[in-house]
Amino acid sequence: MSRTSAHDARASGIRAMLWGAFVILVIASAPASAQRDTTRRDTTTKRTASDSARIADSIAVVRELERLRAEPRSRDPSRQQPAQGAPTNARLLPDISAVGDLVADLSPKGSTQEGGERFSVREVEVAIQAAVDPYFRGDVFFGISDVEKISIEQAYLTATSLPWGLEVRLGRYLMPVGKQNTTHRHDLHTVDYPYVIQRFLDPEGLKGTGIYASKIFAPFGFYQELVLTAVDRFGEPTEGLVTIEPVNKKLSGLGYSARLRNYWDLSQASNIELSFSAITGDREQPVLGGDPTLGTAARQSVFGTDFTYRWRPLQQGLYKSFILQAELLQQVNAKNPTLELPSGVPPDGLVYGGPTRNFTGGYAFARYQLTRRGYVGARFDSFQDEAAGGSATNAVSGYLEFFPSEFSKLMVGYERYAPAEGSTTNRILLQATFALGPHKPHPF
Amino acid sequence: MRLPSLAIAALGAALVAGPTIGAGTARAQLKVVTSTTDLYDIAKAVGGEKITATHIGEGYQDPHFIEAKPSFVLQLRNADVWAFVGLDLEIGWMPLLLQGARNPKLQPGQPGYVDASRVISVLDVARGNVDRSQGDVHPLGNPHYWLDPENGRRIARLFQETFATLDPKNVSVYDANAKAFTQRLDAAERTWQADLAKIKRQPVVAWHTSWRYFAEYTGMNIVGFMEPKPGVPPSPAHLAGLIQTMKQAGAKVIIMEPFYDKKTADFVAGKTGAKVLVLAPSVGGAKGLDDYIRLMTSGIQQLAAAL
Repeated sequence: MSRTSAHDARASGIRAMLWGAFVILVIASAPASAQRDTTRRDTTTKRTASDSARIADSIAVVRELERLRAEPRSRDPSRQQPAQGAPTNARLLPDISAVGDLVADLSPKGSTQEGGERFSVREVEVAIQAAVDPYFRGDVFFGISDVEKISIEQAYLTATSLPWGLEVRLGRYLMPVGKQNTTHRHDLHTVDYPYVIQRFLDPEGLKGTGIYASKIFAPFGFYQELVLTAVDRFGEPTEGLVTIEPVNKKLSGLGYSARLRNYWDLSQASNIELSFSAITGDREQPVLGGDPTLGTAARQSVFGTDFTYRWRPLQQGLYKSFILQAELLQQVNAKNPTLELPSGVPPDGLVYGGPTRNFTGGYAFARYQLTRRGYVGARFDSFQDEAAGGSATNAVSGYLEFFPSEFSKLMVGYERYAPAEGSTTNRILLQATFALGPHKPHPF
Repeated sequence: MRLPSLAIAALGAALVAGPTIGAGTARAQLKVVTSTTDLYDIAKAVGGEKITATHIGEGYQDPHFIEAKPSFVLQLRNADVWAFVGLDLEIGWMPLLLQGARNPKLQPGQPGYVDASRVISVLDVARGNVDRSQGDVHPLGNPHYWLDPENGRRIARLFQETFATLDPKNVSVYDANAKAFTQRLDAAERTWQADLAKIKRQPVVAWHTSWRYFAEYTGMNIVGFMEPKPGVPPSPAHLAGLIQTMKQAGAKVIIMEPFYDKKTADFVAGKTGAKVLVLAPSVGGAKGLDDYIRLMTSGIQQLAAAL
């Protein structure tokens, strides 16, 4: 199949997928709308179950208030009437929360942070979250940092009334590729993402803007979830490179990902998750021998698998737990991409400057709970470094975490970073994070 | 076949599989999932054979810190009723499970979304300004209300009304079961009177605020908590002050749940001559406590014996 016809075939398939997503959203709103209309009609004909429930609730409220009035104990000023008497959020305000992420870099040979700071407010994340209407939920996360100023980290609309256990999101989100990439950086048990995620995906976690569809199922008796996404592009644009056309001009150049999660309970106290991910899309790559800003589009894909074992005895769960986690990713690059050059630029002497081989990397991480508030963790990283022709860069690090409460974390980390080329670096990092606002669910 | 084509094929397969995988809605019994074993036991007592029930937390587990495991999502996916304690007790894990389950029957406002706290006369509702300098506070009130038998009756009535709404053809069964449960509880309560008389006004120390409703019912006088603030582990300075308080008040018992560190309580007991009483806070929290009435009976008997 020629490159053009392959593009066309993919493009038609992708159009079908996007139309499919649109149809799903329409289907999602249809039953909810129908339900509302039915309820209206039934006020004059027959009552639905939800109507009955509301009436029953009203009767229950009246009964309870009558009972409480009659009870001597209800006069106790420390007791309050049943909670349904008054809404707890009468103005329908969204949940607003903030997370501060402070990092100190005390490495002996100078700071290893992006901006060279010894002490920095690495990021403040502000989240605004609420139900939008009966059909959608909205989540918006702003990232504020000295380097990137204010950015939209995530902003997505989630359809909450889809049939068949489907979930669809529209907007920007952390890409469901690998395990740790789906975790906010400040929620990690290490200071930074593993190197393989930083290098193969994005230093601050790979995000994408587009459509996200997920379905849970259990045909074999255990939890499985399939997540598919189509996003504007795979990763951030490469700085300083200009391509003749945007990499996403053709639908085949967009980013596409798939993730299959498999989860098993081994016992009440232990469980494992084994998942598989893939992402592909066109990315800018350099063209050598001419204008240094000249770039061309080339397909890049990342395939990965991740494994997590968790142990937490139920009765002693406040004091003991253990996590073992590992991910293996492979970056697959186009072997002989076609140079897409501006008209009038002769191809003579111009050669593709991007990677044409595959790179593999991974990490293993373990964390053991020492006390109710204290944890010790370690991570080993190894990846084939493109900048060193594929030679391995390794790093080993150790961490001590202390949680004064659920809403603050203090961490000290030591890392020995051995690049494929160059001298070994010792890093000493301190981190403090804090959360303001409503209690958020504990990450799992 | 390249990845985009694979993705399209997989999405199509998932959509096609959807109706079949999610099938099985025709059923004879209501599927009830509860957050705690106490709600589970009362739901079973009211629902009887007309419901199937499961619970997320165990009785010997801290209900604040249950993990939102994907296997729980599967339980909730096809449930008709999700009953929970409320007042933010499950806030650390419930939202993830409900969002993950994608079950429209369990969304707020639906009959299957049962916040049991709405029929409770709540203690310790925050007054004035409240913030986290006061610990892991529950601004809507203390959520450990099931340890007062009056609240057990209220929960039973709530289940009776909920099940009758969702399954009207079995109204008489739910009415009869709820009445039988209340009668059993009334009968048990009459046997507690002698023990309650021993407990009344006796000074005790509790680890967490989870015994506030129990204290309201039994009349025991909580003179201090092991935690300096809700959810905050004991500090040496706090324990030093608590030891003084216990000596002054004559507190003879430290009540704690099985999931806290007993060594700390033993240390305080050693300094004060008090006994450490590990009481199950929920059904299943200790061997043999496999229903709500046994849980209450055991707690009252053990406390009376320790004083």
